[in-house]
Amino acid sequence: MNRSLVTLLGVLALSAAIFAGSYFASQRACLMTRSTDDLSWLRDEFHLSDAEMARVRQLHEGYMPQCAKMCALLAAKKTEVQTALGNGTNITAEARNKLTELGELRAQCQAQMLQHFVAVSRAMPPEQGRHYLAEMEKITLGSHEEIEQSMSDHTGHEHGTN
Amino acid sequence: MNPDDTRFREVLRAARPSPSLPPRFHDNVWRRIEDTEAHTKSGSWLDALTLLVFRPRFAYATVAALVLAGVLLGTYQGTQTARQNEQTRYVALVAPNPLR
Repeated sequence: MNRSLVTLLGVLALSAAIFAGSYFASQRACLMTRSTDDLSWLRDEFHLSDAEMARVRQLHEGYMPQCAKMCALLAAKKTEVQTALGNGTNITAEARNKLTELGELRAQCQAQMLQHFVAVSRAMPPEQGRHYLAEMEKITLGSHEEIEQSMSDHTGHEHGTN
Repeated sequence: MNPDDTRFREVLRAARPSPSLPPRFHDNVWRRIEDTEAHTKSGSWLDALTLLVFRPRFAYATVAALVLAGVLLGTYQGTQTARQNEQTRYVALVAPNPLR
C-alpha cells in the first residue's frame, strides 16, 4: 500500500481519537459536576428563583411522607389481592372486593399526587406552573391514556367488523 | 583528444556490432514511460495532502478544532443526559410506578 495513504489513515485515526477523547471527557465532566439535589430538574427546567425553590422544596418535603405511606398501603393491598386470588382458576367474591379496593386506593394515590402537582405549579410563576402541570400529567397519566386509547381503538375495530 | 583514440573507438565499434532492436521497441518504451508518469500523478495528491497535514500550522489548527468540537458536543450531550436523569429521578420520587 502507498506510504502516503498509510500515513493519512494514521492521521485520520489519531484525529478520531482526539475528538472522541475530548467528547467523552467533557460529557463525563458535565455529568459529574451536576447537582445531586432531587429538585434540581425543577430549578433548571422551569427557571425558578431561590424563593420559589424554597416554597417548592417545602411542598415536596411535606408530600414525600404521604407518598411513602400511600405506597406502603398499595403494596399491602396488592399482597391481599394476591392472597385472595390464590392458586385457583376462579375469581372469588373476596378477590373482586380486594381488586376494587386496590383500584380505589390507586385512585386516591393518583388524586393525592395530582393535588401535589397542582400545589407545586401554584408555587411557580403562572406560565412555568402550567408547563409543569402539563408535563407531570403527561408523564404520570400518559401511559394510562395510551393503554385506554389502544383498548378503545381495539374495541371499536371489533364492533366495526361484527 | 588523441586521434589514435578516435580510430581505436571506430575499430572497437566495428568489432562489436549492435544487435537489431526487438519489434515495437519504441512503442514499448513510450508505454512504460507513460505508465510511470500516470502512476506518479495518482500518488501525487496523496503526497501533497500528507505534506499539508504535517505542516505545523495546519496540524495545530486541526487538533484545536477537533478538541473544541469534541468539548462543545460532549458538553451539550452531557447537559441533555444530565437533565434527563434529573427529570427521571424527580418523577420516580413524586410519582413512583405503583402510583401511576
